[in-house]
Amino acid sequence: MKVFIFTIFLSLSVFAQSGVVNSYLKTLNLEVLKEEPAFSGFDAKRGEVIFTSKHIGKKAKEISCVSCHGNDLSKKGENFFTGKVIEPLSPTTNIERLSNLKDMKKWLRRNFMDVYNREGTAKEKGDVVTYIMSK
Amino acid sequence: MKKLILISLLVAGSLYAGIFDSREKRGVAPATDEFYIKECASCHFAYQPGLLPERSWVKLMGNLKDHFETDASLEREDNKKILKYLVDNSAEKFTNYKRSKKINKSIRSDEAPIAVTDTRYFIKEHRGIRKDLITQKEVKSLANCKACHTTAEKGLYGERDINIPNYGRWDD
Repeated sequence: MKVFIFTIFLSLSVFAQSGVVNSYLKTLNLEVLKEEPAFSGFDAKRGEVIFTSKHIGKKAKEISCVSCHGNDLSKKGENFFTGKVIEPLSPTTNIERLSNLKDMKKWLRRNFMDVYNREGTAKEKGDVVTYIMSK
Repeated sequence: MKKLILISLLVAGSLYAGIFDSREKRGVAPATDEFYIKECASCHFAYQPGLLPERSWVKLMGNLKDHFETDASLEREDNKKILKYLVDNSAEKFTNYKRSKKINKSIRSDEAPIAVTDTRYFIKEHRGIRKDLITQKEVKSLANCKACHTTAEKGLYGERDINIPNYGRWDD
């Protein structure tokens, strides 16, 4: 019985999580379509390049998203500058990820600034979120 | 009569608490605000509000877009909420805590350092530590309190609780 309740709880939270992220992706998709009418949807492969490629960031040092989150998103990362442990980014391992719209927007805004030294476009944000979802 | 006894008890009680409170405490008051911890300590150690005076917190929270060369920007209402917590608990309000008092006294009134590592008291207390012990990967910088102060999260920074990675205990 306990297992049953737990399973229901787990699937409900996963459902809630995918609800939030999917509606955010829909919003981003509409934004991209305004600029690019032939846009055919977000792509995890493009997201991977955004996530793993190195850039001169806000601190004028060469970094990537991997510098803090690591290569394996199911594992904990570590802030490159402060050493603070970062919980796994993979929504499969860490159910809290991609579950809160406000937090998602906040981190995408900040982290694009830190790694790319500019805001991310709607397309880039959608691609990178799609990549994280695939992990 | 009952009322009178009750009132005297209350008065005596608060007097006693007052005396108790005025005794100097070790360290700084621990950080307790959950929202502050969630928002600020996802990137770094949850510095206790009592580590800096009000004017420092106001200055720091006024420029989160460029927070030690990192974008730590928050929504306006969240920024306000956190600033209130920091200001309500800043160093000059907790001079009954030894470290808050000493840090606060070491800052000139026309200064507003936004890093505790820039305050005279902090600099004095950390001079003499070998540079390679600070820059090593387990520590990274002097801003990483918890790397050596094993009880930093409780607001306790005493010498007996220091354990420097690859070095050990610290004796002045």
